Amino acid sequence: MSKKFLTLISFILIAVFVLAACAPAATATTAPVEPTKAPEATKAPEATKAPEATAAPEAVTIKIWHQWDGKYLDAIAAAFKDYETAHPGVIIDLSKPEDVSNALKVAIPAGEGPDIIGWANDQIGAQALVGNIVALDDLGVTADFLTSTYEPAAVAGVQWSGKIWGLPESQEGIALVYNKAIVTADYLPTDPLNFDDLLAKATKFQKDTGNVLICNQAFGGSDAYHMAPIFFGEGVPSYISEDGTVNLNSPEAIKAANFLLALSKVSLKENSYDICKADLAAGKVGMWWTGPWAIAGVEEDKVDYGILPFGRPFVGIKALLMTKNAVDRGNAEVALDIMKYFTSAEVQKKIALVNKTIPAVTAALKDPEVASLAAVVGFGAALNLGIPMSPSPFSSAQWDPVGKASAAIWTGAQTPEAAMADAQTAAETAVAAMK
Amino acid sequence: MNVWSGRKKTLTVFLFLLPTIIAILIFNIYPILLNTYISFTNRNKFRPNPDCSVTLTGVLDPLCWPSFRENAPTGLGSPYKVANPVYKNYKDLLGTLFTGDALTALLKIFAAFVPLIIAWQVDKWQGKKVTRDVGSGLIWLIGLIAGILVALLLDFSGAFKLLMTTGDFIVVVFRTLLFVIIRVPLTFLIGFVLALILNNNDLPGKTFFRVILFLPWGASSVAILVALIWQFLFREQGTINQVLGVLFNIAPKVWLNDPTSAFGVIVLADTWFSYPFVMVVILGALQSIPVELYEAADVDGATWWHKIRSITLPLIRPAVLPAMVLTSITAFQMFGTAFAITAGGPQTGANTPGATEFVMVYAYRQIFQSQNYGLATAFAVMIFIMLFAATLYSLRITRITKGAYE
Repeated sequence: MSKKFLTLISFILIAVFVLAACAPAATATTAPVEPTKAPEATKAPEATKAPEATAAPEAVTIKIWHQWDGKYLDAIAAAFKDYETAHPGVIIDLSKPEDVSNALKVAIPAGEGPDIIGWANDQIGAQALVGNIVALDDLGVTADFLTSTYEPAAVAGVQWSGKIWGLPESQEGIALVYNKAIVTADYLPTDPLNFDDLLAKATKFQKDTGNVLICNQAFGGSDAYHMAPIFFGEGVPSYISEDGTVNLNSPEAIKAANFLLALSKVSLKENSYDICKADLAAGKVGMWWTGPWAIAGVEEDKVDYGILPFGRPFVGIKALLMTKNAVDRGNAEVALDIMKYFTSAEVQKKIALVNKTIPAVTAALKDPEVASLAAVVGFGAALNLGIPMSPSPFSSAQWDPVGKASAAIWTGAQTPEAAMADAQTAAETAVAAMK
Repeated sequence: MNVWSGRKKTLTVFLFLLPTIIAILIFNIYPILLNTYISFTNRNKFRPNPDCSVTLTGVLDPLCWPSFRENAPTGLGSPYKVANPVYKNYKDLLGTLFTGDALTALLKIFAAFVPLIIAWQVDKWQGKKVTRDVGSGLIWLIGLIAGILVALLLDFSGAFKLLMTTGDFIVVVFRTLLFVIIRVPLTFLIGFVLALILNNNDLPGKTFFRVILFLPWGASSVAILVALIWQFLFREQGTINQVLGVLFNIAPKVWLNDPTSAFGVIVLADTWFSYPFVMVVILGALQSIPVELYEAADVDGATWWHKIRSITLPLIRPAVLPAMVLTSITAFQMFGTAFAITAGGPQTGANTPGATEFVMVYAYRQIFQSQNYGLATAFAVMIFIMLFAATLYSLRITRITKGAYE
């Protein structure tokens, strides 16, 4: 063969390889073995059926990206396993990417994303703006269904811009988890909104015992979430409202900032999740301002604990959101069925009894077994005082300014007034950039 | 007869180069172009998706390419567009740097360094002479005193404070440069001293010490994890405070809540990660120095210090200089150590970057926390220009060292 043909063949071969490599991935376009119905054909929502009553299509894999960890995940995975058993044609693939937000940016346009995302409701706005998630109204989920099934805060938490973006799974908020062995009734605040009383008791506790009354991972760090009970408890309606109005320089916010400064004088200078957990167990701090997720650890440490609501915490809603890929792949109907199954009273009751979570579905929350759980009683009372976390994308502008201001107040780098004025400016600038 | 010349030769060479050219275009040039384009747009969380009808967006944004377009999400957000004015992101970052007061402050700061630059040039000029008229130490002393006098006269500290209020860019870049200026010489000093010790043939257990001293370099591949140990050491209830308390009855200090000590901890931790690289480079260079030179110096009655100054340092220069340039660039881009130990903190207010918020930590926060892509990419472009200039300069420096042995 002459060299001329050899060059030509080499060139053609390279071109073939390049073109083959550039072809779209087969998985992006492959339909399920048995094509599922188009979204328009989805049935109107009904009261969630038990797993065995649901008719599922065959051989459909539903990918769920989630944030569940450790023991939490065990009970949740068992619930999904039950669904698979009842629906032999459905495979549920659970995975936990390191960075969901960035993973979605690549996976959704490539058609490789999940069908369902288990996430906090404050992500709804941002994901809806990008178009990664779809509104459930189009799939037949109605506001009536939501209000008749789930708690009011949870219902508000999954709606944004007049649409329903997910089904709520559980509610979270923080409260004071105290060590009964060292915190007697004398040091327990009686009014959940009396901050002067709490400060007086923290001061007395330190004077009497030499230890610190309250540990909070936000103290000294940039953490607006764990700081919320103080700001909202002192009367701030929200850090940033739905329409982007910033409320960080109000007299209430400055009052909260001054309380923080006063509390820093009778607290650990450095706080973190691990420090609070270890010191509560060691009896070096009396209370840990934390959420239901910490209870398993507290029980492991064999701490005889009580839960007391204080301030107005953020009420975060964990929700299941459906992605655009689920609709594109024709999996919307099955995905919605799984979402309804997972957020149903029966499943959430089972999970609550194991994980000590607070269900978003009313029937599970009112179940006598669930309602009598110490965690549900304590954190439930805190949630009743709480402020629902907004799904609006503006809420993303609140974390950095509030966190930085709180840290600067705690370390003494800024006065409460200067810190809150700076936080107001920073949040307004961030909101203006979004508009 | 097959003639290997002309068009055919050019075509063949081009075809052989084509895969490399394509790779450079895809992996080097295209990301730079896309990044630069985004830096002139208002892309952020509210305007996340492209408007593919705009020519440049359609060509550059992958979501507009045929293979992605079909699946590209179209959410409730409006498409991003070119910012108004087009340089808005750059203006926001630089803040008030280009106002009269800020530029005057910048000139005052520069003026304080002019005597030192003059001293450097005079010292260089004197060094070229057969016999020096003035000693090197005296020249630098005069330069230093003159610099301090100029600084006092022009209110250096006032000018500096003013400059630090102009915007995030200056604050972040200044802190990063300060970090580089402290960390790199410290790394060199420790690396040099340890290399001299390890180069001693009489040292027992030399291989053991080499391995032990090189270990931090291995740890730097998992810098974020190991940095957490440094964080633990310097916590309020950490090892350092416990040791200080037991030995000297010193009350616990919150090292990481104080801007200066937190900065010091980052310098210390990153120096620990970096000195082995410099040590190994210097050790290699030391072993290439002919022993005869030291023997001749001994015959001439040279002291240890003379030998270090006149033989060791000049002869390791060709090997050490490129390594120091590399380590400087690495220090400038340092992320893991600072992020793991302080996450950019301690915070000194909502409107200012944290005390250890170096360029990469700042960029990370802009991208992943604020999702302000326009601003973050503008920041990246400015840092790219700075590092590109530094790299070109470093090439010039390393060329100077060429021929040291010739």
